[in-house]
Amino acid sequence: MNMEPIVKRFYTSLEEGKMMGRKCKRCGVVEFPPVIACNGCSCTDMEWVEISGKATMFDFVLPGVMSTRPDNEFLQPYCYGCVELEEGAKFNAIVCGVTKKTKKDIVPRLPVPIKARIVQKDGYKTVVFDLVKE
Amino acid sequence: MVKLGKYSRSVSIIGVGCTPFMNFLDNPATEGLSEGEVFGYAALAAMEDAGVEAKDVDFYFHTQANPYMGSDYITPNMQVADWFGMRGKGSAHHSEACCSGYLALDLAVNAVASGKFDVVLSGCVDLADSLPVANMPAHMRRKFSFEEFIVSTKLIYDRAYSRPLAAGPMIAFDDVAAWYTHAYGLTDEKMDDILNAAAINNRRNAAKCPLAINRTEFKDLAKENGFDDVMAFMRSPFNPKLSEYLRISGFETKCDGAAAVIVCPTEMAKDFKGTPIEVLGIGNAAFEGSQAHLEMRGTEEAVRQAYEVTGLTPSDIDLFYANDFIITSHLIAAEIAGYLPKGEGWKYIMDGRTAYDGDRPINTNGGRASFGHAHAASGMADIFEAVQQMRGLCGERQVKKLPKHTMLRGFGGGQNLAAIILGALN
Ligand SMILES: [Zn+2]
Repeated sequence: MNMEPIVKRFYTSLEEGKMMGRKCKRCGVVEFPPVIACNGCSCTDMEWVEISGKATMFDFVLPGVMSTRPDNEFLQPYCYGCVELEEGAKFNAIVCGVTKKTKKDIVPRLPVPIKARIVQKDGYKTVVFDLVKE
Repeated sequence: MVKLGKYSRSVSIIGVGCTPFMNFLDNPATEGLSEGEVFGYAALAAMEDAGVEAKDVDFYFHTQANPYMGSDYITPNMQVADWFGMRGKGSAHHSEACCSGYLALDLAVNAVASGKFDVVLSGCVDLADSLPVANMPAHMRRKFSFEEFIVSTKLIYDRAYSRPLAAGPMIAFDDVAAWYTHAYGLTDEKMDDILNAAAINNRRNAAKCPLAINRTEFKDLAKENGFDDVMAFMRSPFNPKLSEYLRISGFETKCDGAAAVIVCPTEMAKDFKGTPIEVLGIGNAAFEGSQAHLEMRGTEEAVRQAYEVTGLTPSDIDLFYANDFIITSHLIAAEIAGYLPKGEGWKYIMDGRTAYDGDRPINTNGGRASFGHAHAASGMADIFEAVQQMRGLCGERQVKKLPKHTMLRGFGGGQNLAAIILGALN
């Protein structure tokens, strides 16, 4: 049995400046963050691919009193976005550069282009996104 | 796509029990109650309702959202058996956090439908207003801070990716509110009024429900605080925003409570005391917290399964419940289930039509903000309320039309979804 540690490789790759996903060899779905099996077609034959970081944000909410964490303060201003990578994966992530003021301009333009960025947290690296000027 | 099979035999609820949802530490009469006793009182109430005794029950399920943190134990089903006379009987514990109360019914029904057991009890408990005092007997509990609570809520989210990505656990408060506002071209101010109206309706229901924790209507709270206009009060700092859209009036009130149900084959149900209510079908789905718009996607799937297996359509549903620990949940769940028209449900809420005395009643016990939220027990408290409504036993908060079919939409645990359809027997 090949039991590759997927989570470990994802975070090790971030340390090396790469955002890695896994692409299904049968149906082409890209899982990001990476997992063992394809959630599109159940295939387990997946290959590692570096994702470009190009993405769109198709919905978002702003943080409030209860939905703000101290360890994310260095990312302000930001929102919580529903994002879709150009490779197709959809998930919730922090998107930087959105404020109460800019919200009104962004909502009518959804989905808007964003770009992934690797950031350092306390003890590990993770992925956030930035608004891209159109 | 999952296609549910018909139950091998029909199963009905013959007994329900529910404790008051309250803060046990705050009342001398309840101070010192342990989780085992509270579970036991709810279980015994369900037995009394069904007209059975512990010796008649073959097996029981137990749920509590986070027994390790909440009660300093990890095998709760073993530790409560003696409290209600079930020593030596088989049992199992499960936890899907705030969806537990719905899956508690699902598990019990499957256990009977399979033919393995005839009479199964499923009980749910959480003492969510307090924590155990370390190394002391079970009657000693203490209040805790919001900071301590927050430590445990993150545990329902995936720690490989969701917590490091840091958005899934936070977007949950407003995901539906933001989507609905954008999708239907509403303003943020309009959405605020809709959520406030939903809270007012829920509180009107709770005001008539003796088991609910918050029973003072918002119009009376407004007057007490010098407001003639209840909506002005709802928009004021007396009702602060916790996140972008969610105000405190639309957020769960954590509290203590327990509820239980007893099921048996429908063909045996007439032999017992309680008016039986048939469990017609239960759909399931689950999406981890970093999945975009997971509540909507999961509700769509669970509801689809429930309608498909029962052959019912939205127009058959007379009464609707949804876990609304975030109050948008009952709006979106009711729309996805077809109980309210898509994109128009907010108008029903604004017009008060979803209160107990309206034509599309939702959460007649008051929902999570007003009835209270004892995590794992809340879904079962809704089932208790649904059964009592279908029996016509709800007194002054009885809905106008005796419900023939009721749907309950379960949600929780980062996040499980369930859609239960109950049916009155002719
Ligand atoms: Zn595939």
